Amino acid sequence: MKKRIMLYPGDTMTAEERMKAVIRLQVPDRVPAVPCVYYYFATYSGLTFADLFDPKLYRRATMKLFDELGPWDAYNFFHTYYRELASFFIPMVTMEPGFELPASSIRQFKEEEIMRPEDYACIVEIGERTPRLSFYRIMMGFMPRIYDYIQEGWRSYAFVLPRFAAQLAYYRYEFRDWIDRGATLFYSIGPVEVPFDTFSLARGLIPFVKDLSKYPDDIRRAADALVPGYLFLIKATVNLFGIKRAMIDLHRSSNDFLSPGQFREYALPSLKLLVAGLKDEGIDVIMHCDGDWGLNLEALRELPAGQCVIQLDGATDIFKAKEVIGDRMCIYGDVPASMLALGSAAEVDEYCHRLIEEVGRGGGFILGTGCELAPNARPENVKAMLDSVVKYGYYDK
Amino acid sequence: MSEKIAALIAAVEEDMTLEEVRKALGDGADPLSLVEALREGMAVVGDKYEAREYFLPDLILSAEIFKESIALIEPHLQSGNTTTKGAVVIGTVHGDIHDIGKNIVATMLKCNGYDVHDLGVDVPPQVFVEKASSTQAGLVAMSGLLTLAFDAMKDTVDALAEAGLRDKAKVIIGGGPVNEKVLEYCGADAFGKDPAEAVRLANRYLA
Repeated sequence: MKKRIMLYPGDTMTAEERMKAVIRLQVPDRVPAVPCVYYYFATYSGLTFADLFDPKLYRRATMKLFDELGPWDAYNFFHTYYRELASFFIPMVTMEPGFELPASSIRQFKEEEIMRPEDYACIVEIGERTPRLSFYRIMMGFMPRIYDYIQEGWRSYAFVLPRFAAQLAYYRYEFRDWIDRGATLFYSIGPVEVPFDTFSLARGLIPFVKDLSKYPDDIRRAADALVPGYLFLIKATVNLFGIKRAMIDLHRSSNDFLSPGQFREYALPSLKLLVAGLKDEGIDVIMHCDGDWGLNLEALRELPAGQCVIQLDGATDIFKAKEVIGDRMCIYGDVPASMLALGSAAEVDEYCHRLIEEVGRGGGFILGTGCELAPNARPENVKAMLDSVVKYGYYDK
Repeated sequence: MSEKIAALIAAVEEDMTLEEVRKALGDGADPLSLVEALREGMAVVGDKYEAREYFLPDLILSAEIFKESIALIEPHLQSGNTTTKGAVVIGTVHGDIHDIGKNIVATMLKCNGYDVHDLGVDVPPQVFVEKASSTQAGLVAMSGLLTLAFDAMKDTVDALAEAGLRDKAKVIIGGGPVNEKVLEYCGADAFGKDPAEAVRLANRYLA
């Protein structure tokens, strides 16, 4: 029988039991904390950002932070040791530290047209012919457009698939560090951009906005056509790692990018198909929602209750989100990057206390950073955030 | 006729706006009054955006209509006879290459009658200083999406102060994580959450 490791002396649930409880909107023993960390691993350990491409340095840095400022409940990971794999999930031209950028700069994306307008029709066709493989086929088609050293056709598969397999092997190896310390994996796969947002990223914002007014139905059909391919990819990874959760990214569907009407009409249908398909497999969904989602929250009530987590980054009023949708989905967030980088530990403590009291009321809440933990966050602020779930987060105290 | 053009661009009607501009030019309308009508329409778009009646796609599409209309009008304008509301220097700060937000703000400022000097992305403080000085800009607008950009914003504000330009130019900042706290940290005059707010701030400081 597996040993039940408790993260803190006051805990009565394991991290995995706690995570399942909050997603089902039940009251756990305490509020879980899950910071979203990548570049901060480097700054805390005195590494450059480019060093994080080295598996040994990355792994050492993750455990140093967890052991010294943690623990926390789940490993929210989104690193790849092969830069090209990041473009497999977010099809955009990237500039990486140690490559195009100095080792001390963080990854940045370039807004270029990777996808062409005629690709919408191709995607529908591929989706019809090979539904389960549609995601791979589309992304493999994009790779040579992003990297001039990746060739088209079978050669792009030959380039990407071995790296993909190696990355999965690295993940499997690293996960032990976290499981042995009592944390759980936040998900088996993530973050995968949802189909609609993928088009916005791959086309570039301004061309995509024009597409949306010129041929909205083609976009909608192409997004729907890609869903089986996403389901196949997610199910395969869940089978490999055993955690029945997936993270999906919604970078371009907030009210900062779309009207609530456009969201409901063009982005929501494929999202609902995807979530329903995952529900059939018993897979929960963490939605990484960048930007202001205030006017979309009501529409998200159409997603199944007790299956989804909505991660907010500080741009959405999280307290209002609790009122509007807290009875349908678990809320995750949202200590702002600016507070963690520029504020004081007392401010962080006070804000986290309020989040736990108000958004955490009745369960269904995960304390987290608003989007990624700022690389220039102050260590005492990160500590104050993680400590707050022990100070204020127990439900029976 | 001008009223109709203003109303059409405000309704984000691309083909009809362009058709009306062509018709007006054919009828010998004063090209400057047409530019003014387009600006009036764009101001309505900005108001509707702030009222959350319009969203980013409406801003982007109306700005495209504005650009296409100006391209039609330009051959009829005598050079140098358009008025501007003042010079604005804009750029994404050093270390950051995000440009969508900055580009949209630059376009909206142009549509609203400002003489916009866009320095692009990853702009060192000294380049902001030189441009602000040579154009005698009354407004410097800095953009940044990374939290690491906060320091670059602060450095740029400090460089403007060192060059003696801080009392001549107001400084506004914008970008995803920018808020009151960041404003206080870098010592700018104001921050905007969206392009419409940037235009409102420019109107407050320059118009």
